Amino acid sequence: MNRLVKLYHQLGSPPTFYRITGKWLPWLLGGALVLMFWGLYDGLFVAPIDYQQRESFKISYIHVPAAWMSMFIYLAMGIAGFMALVWRMKVAEAILIASAPVGAIFTLLALLTGSLWGKPMWGTWWDWDARMTSELILLFLYIGVMATYNAYDDPRKGARVAALVAVIGLVNLPIIHFSVQWWSTIHQASTVSLFGKQHIPWSMLRGWLIMAVGTKLYYGYSVLKRARLLLLETEKNTAWVQKIIEQECRHA
Amino acid sequence: MIHLMPQKPEKLKTTVMLAALIQRDVLIGLRQKSQIYQPLVFQLLVVTMFPLGLGAGAKTLAAIAPAVIWVLALLASLLTLDHIFKVDHEDGSLETYVLSPVPLPASVLAKAGAHWLLTGLPLTLFSPIIAALMHLPESAFGTMLISLLLGTPTMSLIGSMGSALTISLKHGGLLLTVLVMPLLAPVLIFGASAILESTLGNPASGQLLALTALLVFSLTLVPFAAATAIRINLE
Repeated sequence: MNRLVKLYHQLGSPPTFYRITGKWLPWLLGGALVLMFWGLYDGLFVAPIDYQQRESFKISYIHVPAAWMSMFIYLAMGIAGFMALVWRMKVAEAILIASAPVGAIFTLLALLTGSLWGKPMWGTWWDWDARMTSELILLFLYIGVMATYNAYDDPRKGARVAALVAVIGLVNLPIIHFSVQWWSTIHQASTVSLFGKQHIPWSMLRGWLIMAVGTKLYYGYSVLKRARLLLLETEKNTAWVQKIIEQECRHA
Repeated sequence: MIHLMPQKPEKLKTTVMLAALIQRDVLIGLRQKSQIYQPLVFQLLVVTMFPLGLGAGAKTLAAIAPAVIWVLALLASLLTLDHIFKVDHEDGSLETYVLSPVPLPASVLAKAGAHWLLTGLPLTLFSPIIAALMHLPESAFGTMLISLLLGTPTMSLIGSMGSALTISLKHGGLLLTVLVMPLLAPVLIFGASAILESTLGNPASGQLLALTALLVFSLTLVPFAAATAIRINLE
């Protein structure tokens, strides 16, 4: 436990964050690539074909992990926003700003693949059902965070206001979700639950789970890479960034 | 005996100061007038476009009336949100709210209250005209008035939060819309469905209670979020 607390405090300092996460990046990217290829292979070629949905079901091996990630990243972003507001950590601000585009892309991916899946299944590209609408509103919330950050000339002020926007969105998300769920839906109910009986055989579930871990590693890679660049940019006048630039020049 | 301590200045009560703040905003609004009548004129103009676009069939119009009434209320109040804190920020009175002994969240509540008196209340009182133009059945008028009376304060509150988030931006109008719209979606859902249920002859108490819950929720949390936004912007 002590080592974890120490690591947390070390990661709060931009130079140490930059140094430590630099070592993580190749592992995260490698793990993400291996798992995502394995998950896709497992889903596309190994998993049995659904007797009702046929081959269309295989879109779910991208759709479902993307939808999970869209919510997971918003949660991560909200927590980073809370930390940025309360403790004014530069690293938390960078994580927040770096998370938004990644989350928005996963949300967009979930919406697009859902639309591609909906056409053969329901006969329509788009239907205003509860889960699709919530996902669309989630995309608006991501856009709000990104637009707020970009609207301010001072990046630190922009990041702090964006952090507040993310936290407000996180508090409102359950309300929006449940009120949207009010009009009932043709979207199939959740298939996977941690507790209770599973509605899907293991051979089909496996691909989703592998993809879920793979996309999380990818998020870790992408967010750290973006956050590192953001920190270099906002801290460009400090000694540690100058030192990194000198080192890079010497290598080149 | 000589008292060396200077006399303490008379301490103003928080409630007195908040009442003065609301009175000032309402007075300014009443003298400028545009803040009050512009949303109403906007509503009237837009509602005219529906029959022109859809055809004047009473049945078609009545079917979409609940949604139109609520979407119009939403858009009309969005028009005025930009002003809530912007003018105060430009002339520097926002700083005095931050520095004054009155807690900033309370001042935010007063500002949102004044905004509601100047836009939400007129919009509610004006809504029967919009409803009549859209052929909403008269039996649903009561529910419509109650739903707007419960929903418009939430719009003013969440709108004041959006306004506080964008005060120091020159062109924050579109961003304000992007920030506020998703948060107001639940108000729209419950408000429009309350009117819809009562046109069908069903009780709408569930929706009205949900609107009340949203109002209580935003009354308790929004002032603090908006105050935080103002503090960050003034740093």
